[in-house]
This record gives sequence, C-alpha cells and structure tokens, in this order.
Amino acid sequence: MNWSFVIANAITLACIYGTLAIGISITWSSLGLINMAYGFIFALSGYGAWLAAQYISANGFVVMGAGILTGAIGGMLVCALAFIPIHDKPNFTVRGMIATLAVSLVGNQALLWYFGPRAKSLPPLFGSSQTSIFGVVMTADKIGAVVSSVVLLSAVLLWMRSSRRGLEIRAMMMNPHAAAIVGIGVRRTGFYVMALTGGLAGLASVLLSQTYYVGPFSGITPMVKGLSVALCGGLGSVFGAVIAAALLGINEAMTSVVFGGQYVLITQFALIILILLIRPRGIAGILDKAREA
Amino acid sequence: MDHAVPQKKEVLNVKGLSAGYGPMRVIHDLDLIVYSGERVGLVGLNGHGKSSLFLGIAGLTGWQRGSIKLNGVEVGRTRSQGPGRYTHQVVRQGLALIPQGDEIFTGLTVEEHLDSGAFTPRAWRERAERKEHVLKIFPPLRKLMKTAVGRLSGGERRMVSIGRGLMAEASLFLVDEPSLGLAPKIGKGVLDALMSVELGQSAMIIAEQNVALLEGRVDRVIGMHVGKLKGEASASLTFQTRREH
Repeated sequence: MNWSFVIANAITLACIYGTLAIGISITWSSLGLINMAYGFIFALSGYGAWLAAQYISANGFVVMGAGILTGAIGGMLVCALAFIPIHDKPNFTVRGMIATLAVSLVGNQALLWYFGPRAKSLPPLFGSSQTSIFGVVMTADKIGAVVSSVVLLSAVLLWMRSSRRGLEIRAMMMNPHAAAIVGIGVRRTGFYVMALTGGLAGLASVLLSQTYYVGPFSGITPMVKGLSVALCGGLGSVFGAVIAAALLGINEAMTSVVFGGQYVLITQFALIILILLIRPRGIAGILDKAREA
Repeated sequence: MDHAVPQKKEVLNVKGLSAGYGPMRVIHDLDLIVYSGERVGLVGLNGHGKSSLFLGIAGLTGWQRGSIKLNGVEVGRTRSQGPGRYTHQVVRQGLALIPQGDEIFTGLTVEEHLDSGAFTPRAWRERAERKEHVLKIFPPLRKLMKTAVGRLSGGERRMVSIGRGLMAEASLFLVDEPSLGLAPKIGKGVLDALMSVELGQSAMIIAEQNVALLEGRVDRVIGMHVGKLKGEASASLTFQTRREH
C-alpha cells in the first residue's frame, strides 16, 4: 500500500470537509438553521468559478475569488429566501430545514436548466508540479487545497475572535436570547453568517473541483459529508469539526485504498454512528470545558 | 432653560401595555412613568409579571400591544409574534436589560462579555473606559477578565451580567432580580453595587423579591400583582393604595 498517497489524500479531504463542516456548524449554532441548501450554494459557487474561468481569467486567484464570492452571494440569497421570512415563526428548526431544502431543489433544477447536465471542469488552479514533504509526495493541487483552506479558515476564525461582528456571531452561537437582549440584531447577523458560511462553501467547492467536476448536483454528496462531519464533531463546535474532519478524511482515504471508493460512505457512516453511540454530543462533548448555563 | 438644575424628564412612559405568551396574557393594560435620576423598586410575587414587564419593554414577550416611550421615542408596537425581532432598536434607544438568571454567553471571556454589552457605536468606541468603570463597581472581575464566563461562580456571573448591562449607553436600566439565587451576603453586595451606580440623567428599575434589601435605598417602590401595578410607596415602605388619577 502506498502510505504517502493515503496520507496526502487524507489531509486534503480533511481540509475540504472541515471547511464545509465548520460552515454548517456555525450556521446551526448561531442561527439554529440546518442549511440544506448548502449543497446548492456549493454547486452554484462551482459554476461561478467556472464562469469566471471562462470569461474573465483562468488565473487561480480570480477563479477562487469568484467561487468564494458566488458562495457568499448564494448564502445571502438563501438567507433572504429561507431565513428572514420564517426565523421568528414557531417551529423554526423544521420549517427552516424544509425551506432550505426547497431552495436547494429549486436552485439545483435551475442550474440544470441553465447550464445543462454536462459537467464542467475548472482549470488547474495550482499548476501541476510535485514536491515531496517528509517523503510524502504531494501534488500541487493538494498542497494548494491544504494551504488555501487552512489560511482561509484561520482568517475566518481569527476574524471571529477579534472583530466586533465576530463577537456578535459568537454571542449568538452561545445564547441567542441574551444576544437579542444586548441588542444584536438576528436578521443582520443572519446575513453575515450566511455570507461567511457561503464563502466557505465556495472555497470548498473550488478546491474539490480540482479532483471532481462542477455539475448541477455536485453539491449533494459534499453537503452530506460536511453535515455528518459537523454532527460527528458536535454541532456548534469549530474545534470538534476540525478533529472530526481529520478522522473522516483519514477514514475516506484509507477506505478507498483498502476496500475501494464505492465503500467510502458505508465506512464513513459506520464510523459516525460509532462515535455518536459513544459520545452522543459528538467529539466536542469531550472538549466542552465551560459548564452549561 | 432658565435654571441650571437638570430638568426631570420622562425616561420611560408606558401606556396601556398588554403582553403575554400565546393564549396567555400576563401584563394587563399597564401604565408606568419613570423619571430621570430615579431608582424604582418593583416588588411582587413570583409569576405576577415583573419579568414579563421588563421583557415587554424590550420587545421580547410572545406578543404585545400598547405604547412604550423611551426618552420620548415610541418603541412600543402591536405585534403577535417575533419576540426579539425589534429588540436591537429598543436597545439603540437606550435600554439596558439585565435579565433574570444571567443569560450569559458561557464560552466568552469576561472581557468579551463586557464588550458585547457596548452595543451602540459610541459605547463601542468608549468601551475601554466603560470597562474600567464596571471594574470599579465590581473589583473582583478584574483578575477574571480572561476567564470563560461558564467557569465563574454564581455571584461572579451575576456581576458579569450586571456589568454587561452597565456597559451600554443606556438611559433606562431594567434589573431583574439581582439577588436571585445568591447567598444573602453576596446578594446584598450585588445590590450595594447597583445602588452605587451613579444614574445622572438615566433611571433604573430593580425588580426584587427581598423588599428589605430595597428599603430606604430606592426613590419609590411599586407593587405588582397579577399583571398590574397595584400600589406605590416612597422608600420608607408605608404602602398606600394609589388613587386612579
């Protein structure tokens, strides 16, 4: 077995899934919304990046920027359609899930109608060189995926730690009622959060399109994986999501080498079920130092 | 104005406020006026609407109707749902609500917590001085600034919660049961701190079960019973039923 290949794949996948999972996790804990339209945002930003590559420039930064921007716009669109009208109605959790699912279905069909069923491929963003790090052969796209997701995620987390808007988002993640009391507007924060997480989905989409293709339904599987990573890490915990992403990335890379790619989802869900049986609140249950209010 | 003494003005003017949750009505056509510089005690039994009155003023009850004027600006509205949807507008008009049972953000540090209370742009710019001010009132918080609030004791949490309210650029402070759930000595200390806050042009309403703690230290005491204000007394607690005016 080619261990370096497994490790390289595991790290790359962990970074991409971690990006998705953190987006889902932040949305859930701050807005109380399971964003089923995340796959749609993912696919949409893939097309945004593709259009930029076709009509503006195939420069890696331009394509990635276009993907992130489209993702952010898509996030705000979902927010305006499926969060703002219903967020203070009774039974919002279920309604929100249905509304975002509806946005996702309509959006995916619209993409299919407009762009057609044929998958598009993005130009290679990071060139095609190869380097060896500690004996692990990494291709340029894998290094690029790891570096860009780590850099962008750190930037996002740093922003959430240090800025005022980040403070508002974190406050809403911990106690929405108290956040309202100190004057944090739910709707405005909703737009920030959805734009931010949409941008993360856009990044993940561009990165994953280096291996796969951009298609109208290409977001479904990544969303399911991102959601399960977020669940596994404990919804609402960023650090838990990172650990879960690492675990599931290793699992996915190992499974495709040992058993073959078609068994990936089976072992993945078996692992998630196992973790949730032992830690019902996800991995973050272990990390939670502060006692509950 | 021809005199130097600051004019006593209405900070809060509530007229015909009704509020409740779903089919339940908790506040019944309530009128209340609070003037600047006033410290008002609100007493009454559990479940008679003290907290709901505060939440109603902040727009956080299930539904509400009636007029609420904060510094002359209307912040009341008739709404059947959407608790909290307009609260940030009320806060911007100068309301600081210090809720019952603290409502803290467990994972934030004390410092971040205080920052989160400075909501208006001006309060945010001045947050360093405001934090100093809060730390003067609650000195024990100084060495806890970097600690997550979820790890504090009940009394310390209460201090953080009140401190967060004091960070706001507010003209009306609503303090809900500051001594609730605390050891008597600590509860008394928290109340002492509240009494030491200089109000200036702002006003403060303190809801409290322990009337003895308020005695002689607030400007007037209002009783609350089944969703209505029932009696008013000066701080000496010689209760008289107020005639309808």
